[in-house]
Amino acid sequence: MKTLGRIMIILAAFAFVMGLTYTVVNAASSFVGATAFERGEEGFQRPEGVQPQVPNGERPEFSGGEGREFRGDRGGGFRWILGAVRNMGIIAVIVAAVVWLKNFLRKRNQETEQVSG
Amino acid sequence: MTETQIKTKNRTKTKLVLDVLIFIAFLIAMEPRSSGIPIHEWLAVSILAVLVVHLLLSWDWIVQTTRRFLGKLNTQTRLNYLLNWSLFIDVMLLMLSGLVISEVVMPTLGIGLPRNFAWRGLHEFSANLFIVLLGLHTALHWSWVVDTFKRYVFQPIGHVFSTNTKKDISA
Repeated sequence: MKTLGRIMIILAAFAFVMGLTYTVVNAASSFVGATAFERGEEGFQRPEGVQPQVPNGERPEFSGGEGREFRGDRGGGFRWILGAVRNMGIIAVIVAAVVWLKNFLRKRNQETEQVSG
Repeated sequence: MTETQIKTKNRTKTKLVLDVLIFIAFLIAMEPRSSGIPIHEWLAVSILAVLVVHLLLSWDWIVQTTRRFLGKLNTQTRLNYLLNWSLFIDVMLLMLSGLVISEVVMPTLGIGLPRNFAWRGLHEFSANLFIVLLGLHTALHWSWVVDTFKRYVFQPIGHVFSTNTKKDISA
C-alpha cells in the first residue's frame, strides 16, 4: 500500500511536469505560429523570387529512396557502436572532470585546514 | 548479518542491476537511426517504467533531502538534489516530446497529438542535455558506483578465480 502510494506520487509528478510542458510549448507555438508554418497556412508567405523546392502537397525525395529517411537501416551495428562510444565518451569526460575537481577541492581544503590548524 | 543489513545489501544490488540496465537501454535508445524507430520508442517507454522503480529505491533519500533542503545540508547533497530535479524535468521533457512526435507508440495506442517544429527541437535539445546531466549525475555518485562494482562484481569474480586457483594447487 505504501509502495502504491509512492508510485502514485511519482506518476502525479510525471503528469504535472508533462502537462505543464505540453501547455507551455503548445501555447508558445501557437503564439509564434509554428504549427501554421508547418501546415503552410497563410501568414507564412514565401518570399518573392524564391521557388518552392517541392511541388505543393508532395513529399520531398530522399537520395536513399522512400522510407530511408529515419528508419534505422543506415550503417546498422557499426553506426550504433560509434554513437554509443561517443555518448559514453562524453559521459566519461564529464565524470573525469567532476571527480578530478572534487578531489582537487578536497585536497585544497585539507591543506588550508592544516595551515590554519 | 542482521535483517536490515541483508535488506540494504539486496536493495543496493537491485539498484546496481537496474542502473546498469537503464544505462544500456539509454545507449541503445539514443541511436534511433541505428536501432530503428520502433525499438527507440518502445525502449524509451520501458525506461520510463524502470525510472519509477529507480525513484522508489531512492525514496528515503528523496524524502529526507526534501525535508532538510531549506535547513542544514552540505553543499554536495544540495547540488545533487538540484541536479536530480533537473534530470527529472529533462527526462519528462524528453519523454513528452518523444511521445508527441511518436511514429509508433502513440499511433499503436490510437492517440494522435498535434505536432509542430517545437516538439522535435525540444526532443533533440532535451536529449543532448540529458547526456550532460547523466554525466554529472554519474560523477556525483561515482564513489558509490566504484564501491558497489568492487563489492558486488569484481570481488565475487576475484573470489571465484582465487578459489579455482586454490583447488588447482591442492589437486
